[in-house]
Amino acid sequence: MSDYVKLDDVTLAYGDVVAVPNLSFEIGKGELIALLGPSGCGKTTTMRAIAGLMGLASGSIHIDGRDVTNLPPSKREVGLVFQSYALFPHLSVYENVAFGLKMRGEKNIKPKVEAAIESVGLSQFANRLTPDLSGGQQQRVSLARSLVVEPKVLLLDEPLSNLDARLRLEMQMVLKDIQKRTGVTMIFVTHDQSEALALADRIVLMKDGKIVQSGLAEDMYNAPETRFAADFFGFENILPGEDGRERAWRPNAIRLGEGPYEGRIRGMSFGGDYRTYVIETDRGQIKGAVAADLPAYAEGETVRFDLPMAQAVALQAG
Amino acid sequence: MKTSSFANWTIIGLTLTFLIGPFIVIILAAMTDGNNLAFPPEGLSLRWFVKVFTIESFRDSFVISMVLAIFGTLAALVIGVPAAYAISRYKVPGAGAVQLIVSSPLIVPGIIVGLALLRYLVIPTGFTIFATLFLAHTALILPYAVRVVTSSLQNLRTDVEEAALILGCSRLGSFFRVVFPNIRGGILAAFILGFVTSFNQVPVSLFLSGPGVRTLPIDMLAYMETTYDPSVAALACLLAFMSVGIVFLAERFLGFSKYV
Repeated sequence: MSDYVKLDDVTLAYGDVVAVPNLSFEIGKGELIALLGPSGCGKTTTMRAIAGLMGLASGSIHIDGRDVTNLPPSKREVGLVFQSYALFPHLSVYENVAFGLKMRGEKNIKPKVEAAIESVGLSQFANRLTPDLSGGQQQRVSLARSLVVEPKVLLLDEPLSNLDARLRLEMQMVLKDIQKRTGVTMIFVTHDQSEALALADRIVLMKDGKIVQSGLAEDMYNAPETRFAADFFGFENILPGEDGRERAWRPNAIRLGEGPYEGRIRGMSFGGDYRTYVIETDRGQIKGAVAADLPAYAEGETVRFDLPMAQAVALQAG
Repeated sequence: MKTSSFANWTIIGLTLTFLIGPFIVIILAAMTDGNNLAFPPEGLSLRWFVKVFTIESFRDSFVISMVLAIFGTLAALVIGVPAAYAISRYKVPGAGAVQLIVSSPLIVPGIIVGLALLRYLVIPTGFTIFATLFLAHTALILPYAVRVVTSSLQNLRTDVEEAALILGCSRLGSFFRVVFPNIRGGILAAFILGFVTSFNQVPVSLFLSGPGVRTLPIDMLAYMETTYDPSVAALACLLAFMSVGIVFLAERFLGFSKYV
């Protein structure tokens, strides 16, 4: 089923200011989707609309075939892991996780709550108050609290951005594992392309409330279609071609030392495995990366370079 | 370094003398064995403390002051908590004006409020003195209630309410299950502040007294006009100890000072 979550012509506005105009997309059951874009692109607003925390100016949202457009958040069967985790500070880990089940009036919730806490590895903290936990632990409580009620869709707001590098990798694996184990459909919001690539099956790239491009993570990385998408995925050299279409190269696709073009080295930054040079040319500034074990160029030195067509991505206008 | 620490201690000493000195004078004056309110006391005795409890008008006005302080504060909270919630959570049109109006009892001199209520509410409409006192005390406490509760709401993230909504709460449910337990300390602090403010209130109540209806501080003033004995000092001591005791307990169990 490829339309498990379906946004149809959704317009979202704050008062008179339209944040997201006429957005449509569909998500399949069990998919892990990233809504990616710079801050202010409408990704968080869209997520809040799916959760029911924000009303629609027009359009509709369906989840699992049911029109939820006018349902309150409590009736939508979604979970949301907030960026700040939004745990209830006056309740223990156990009571936080039990909250949703209690609200549903379920009986005999203890085994479920304990299993959920166990699944995020926090059993020994069950009776702690949540403000006493570390950020990573709080996030796992938030995950358990959302998942224990078995939502149809799990929404995550910047799930990795508050974590350090080691915890990031750990949380990535936790999320992938949850997807495999429970088959829950997940939508997460991020401004970081590396997060989106690492985690998502599919990426929806947004700008100014509109979808710029969407597709499989690898396709997005290798074949951005527009200048904006190319820039977002690290194609830092975008130059107009002779046919009028723009072409884009990653810094490591530029060949330095030989070729038909010439420029002056303006600066260098050392990146461990490679050095990245900023080169002033008559076609503008270009960034080229060269393996660090090759001899370095000096600042001010004139260097020849090539823009290999085989590694260029041709962009559409816009 | 030595001079500055000497200067510090001098300032602290003077401040404490200034703040606590009168209190000590009153305590000693109340413990006199003589028949006049005088300092230094003539011999020591606790008989004026005993006498306080035998004066009937003090008993009556104490009950009135208690009722005003407790129920006036509760009424102010019933109005003030929703107001504080609205001000801190929504972009209410004219929120600034509302806050100003709510604070105005702090700005307008109490004696003017009292006189105005007497002249334009009690006299023309026949509104009872007690009901008017109740209204006046409620209005007087409202600014404290709104301020203290607002600051405690501002310390609570709004997204915990959204989390409660998603987990199955109604809006009202999320207030009582999530917001209220987290601002309970602030509400209790507002209650104590309101209670003490109302109980010690003089200027507004000054004009609002009638046959059989007087707050305790006004009754004490009236008593002193006719009888200049140390029982008023003894009563003042008892009230001061009550206030200090309440605030001390609040600080001990609530961390009162972080809310005020």
